[in-house]
Amino acid sequence: MRKILFFILLFSTLIQAQTDKPTLIIYTYDSFTASWGPAPKVKEAFEKVCNCNLEFVSTSSAIGTLRKIQLEGANTKADILLGLDKSSAGIARKTNLFMKHGLDTSKLSLPVKWTDNEFLPYDYGYFAFVYDTNRDKKIPHSFEELLKMPKSFKIIIQDPRSSTPGLGLLLWIKKVYGDKAGEYWKKLSPHILTVTKGWSEAYGLFLKGEANMVLSYTTSPAYHIIAEKKTNYKTADFKEGHYGQVEVSAILKSSKHKKLAKQFLEFTMSETFANIIPTTNWSYPVVKTKKGLPKGFDSLHTPSKMLLIDDEKLEKNRKKYINEWLNAIK
Amino acid sequence: MLSNSIWRFRLSIIPGSLISFLLLLLAFGIFYTLFLNSGFENFSSVLITSRVQGLIKFTLFQAFLSTLLSVFIGTLLAWSLAHQNSFRGRDFLIALLSSSLVLPTLIVVFGIITILGNNGWINRSLLYLFNFSFENSIYGLGGILVAHVYLNASFAARSLLHIFESIPKERYKLAKSLNFSTYRRFALIEFPAIKLSLKSISSTIFLLCFTSFAIVLTLGGSPSYNTLEVAIYEAVRLDFDIPLALKLALIQLSITMFLVFLSSNFNIGISNIKTSSNQIPWKEPKKLQFFQLIVISIFTILFILPLISIFVDGFGANFIKILSDKLFLKSLITSLVIATFSSIFTVVFALLISDARRNFNINYRVKKTKLSSFINILISFSGNIYLAIPSLILGLGFFLLSQKFQAPLLLWSLGAILCANILMSLPFALSIIYPTMQKVALRYDKLSFSLNLNGSKRWLYCEWPYLKSSVAYVFALSFCLSLGDLGVVALFGSNEITTLPWYLYQLMGSYQTKDSAGVALILLVLTLSVFIFLPKVFKNVANR
Repeated sequence: MRKILFFILLFSTLIQAQTDKPTLIIYTYDSFTASWGPAPKVKEAFEKVCNCNLEFVSTSSAIGTLRKIQLEGANTKADILLGLDKSSAGIARKTNLFMKHGLDTSKLSLPVKWTDNEFLPYDYGYFAFVYDTNRDKKIPHSFEELLKMPKSFKIIIQDPRSSTPGLGLLLWIKKVYGDKAGEYWKKLSPHILTVTKGWSEAYGLFLKGEANMVLSYTTSPAYHIIAEKKTNYKTADFKEGHYGQVEVSAILKSSKHKKLAKQFLEFTMSETFANIIPTTNWSYPVVKTKKGLPKGFDSLHTPSKMLLIDDEKLEKNRKKYINEWLNAIK
Repeated sequence: MLSNSIWRFRLSIIPGSLISFLLLLLAFGIFYTLFLNSGFENFSSVLITSRVQGLIKFTLFQAFLSTLLSVFIGTLLAWSLAHQNSFRGRDFLIALLSSSLVLPTLIVVFGIITILGNNGWINRSLLYLFNFSFENSIYGLGGILVAHVYLNASFAARSLLHIFESIPKERYKLAKSLNFSTYRRFALIEFPAIKLSLKSISSTIFLLCFTSFAIVLTLGGSPSYNTLEVAIYEAVRLDFDIPLALKLALIQLSITMFLVFLSSNFNIGISNIKTSSNQIPWKEPKKLQFFQLIVISIFTILFILPLISIFVDGFGANFIKILSDKLFLKSLITSLVIATFSSIFTVVFALLISDARRNFNINYRVKKTKLSSFINILISFSGNIYLAIPSLILGLGFFLLSQKFQAPLLLWSLGAILCANILMSLPFALSIIYPTMQKVALRYDKLSFSLNLNGSKRWLYCEWPYLKSSVAYVFALSFCLSLGDLGVVALFGSNEITTLPWYLYQLMGSYQTKDSAGVALILLVLTLSVFIFLPKVFKNVANR
């Protein structure tokens, strides 16, 4: 007991030591705040210019963070929610908890035009199937070709109910096949080795050599190139185009530091922020920088087209899409 | 009458009952805050869909099969080990048996996949030797069963071994002199001895399989092999439909209650307590010996291979980088501190609860009435709360409670982690400690009453000698369970507290698979050392 009390005292003095400046609190998912994630560098860079303290509070997923804010209600300490995927932004919009940011978004350089004035993107990427060139030479280049692969060609995907990439694939196939998506899933299901709860399990299984391809991002090979000096992981280029993941942040209406929060959102469109993102969050920054992307990103394949489904349509049909998927692949 | 006898045993009844009452209050509080949060009108309108019904059916089916297999294999292994008590490396093997249960489930799943997966060791060797391999053999119902049996059969074997070893050797001598066949010896001597534990172990295993999450999701292969937890996850995270989540949680609660009800009425006549540690001077017949050794070797290989794969995978990690990461050290220390406290609490709680409960199961202590049986069920239910409440609901409940009663978040997080860890270990602790305590009471009550031996003296002279090995095991088990637990707090976040498994998942979630394998190896080594050294420490202290 004494040890715990000691720890509590230690922590509380640490927290109290920095209360003279205003503190901006950002709720986000936990791989953003890991010591190798973007948060430490972002904190350092932003605190240099804002005369404030920046504090990240993390949960295991971005959608969990939204639910946390909802459960906290009026008591929430969050000023900003950072990390929702665009595909989940509609859920957040419905809660009516977020305000218009009113920022000039003309400097954004995204593959699609950005018009949302509540949620502001801070990085983006494309969903894609990653494969190992040491293992497979012949890989599919479209969803149709994927069906024609031999029976033993297996993919690992994630559950759209618990994982962002999982939802991404669901929407990707919906966008490509429309009303025939259910049929496509039925045909695809013999190729699905397993459906995992999250990205980590799926990617881990793939690295163990359990399947030929895993659903991940076009930027995944960049990690292997830059951090591990391995060039054998590549993504399969699908000619239908690739569904996009655009990660966004938004300011809470209840925030007491709205001006500071706006300054932070503006900061996420800065070159400083853009230079941190590629090798910490392994995705593309939303603005072009003088420095350009790190070496290794140039060898990645860039999809010809970013597919996205309109927010409103998505929100109306989310449940329907998921049920269609569940019925098709059981 | 009833109140008289309760008064007579008040010292044994009150502390344990109080703890049980507090645990039940906590469970009630969690459900009540969720209920308040979900609104009354909504509650009746939520329907349980046919999909959820399908989930429940499948979950019951897989849990039933898993339990059956685990208990069968566990008994076979424990029986073989009990009769082969002198081979080399036996202590180490027994320590290994417990370790799979307490490691983070995902590590174990990955270990199993490294051996039995598509690209696993077995398939790769078959491919190399015979140019043949099994396709997708591990994904699906088979994989779920293999993983559940892997985790639970070893637990069953480990706990039953205790019971086998405490069968008085005189009985074996009697069996020998009556020329019993192996089957008759098992049916007449061994089975009656393990029956009581078999019941409590089976119900614990059933509940574990019923609530299992990571295994079913990773190895199940498709969403039709899912669990109630996924439905709850979907309801909370995706739809924010707390009434539905609450309803689903209530289903799990009722199934748990039903099982506890089934397994809580223990009636045993004879007490099996080791009276002497004499070795049996003769050996088993040659054929039998051969069979037992085969059983031991097969299961040893099966149990050890996934653990070896964790070792092999872990060696590729950059340990200098891991050990110099401040976050790693912080997580390690936090995990060790939490594990120490929660295991101490678990042992104390389990002893007190078992002490209170046995009064209601022994007719001459408290006369059997409807009320006393009801209290008995309540007490035994209070030890199984963790299995009765889905972990997401537990996390949600703690979070809502922390919103209601303002206190520093750190305090809440610590309290919640500690509490969840104790709740998690209690079902195991009770299923190990309770049967022994009841047997001790049945055997020594009359003697100690007549000698007026009570209070601390009774504990010291009468209970402790029989309990010490169980207590050491429970202590090690709950220590490692907390060490390997991701913690309910991760669900709704807490920056201040980071545990070792949390750190591991972080690494896994950011491509650093190699280093996460390294952390898994560190966890495995920690767990094994606790299981090997802790019982030795206890033995030495007790002998002094």
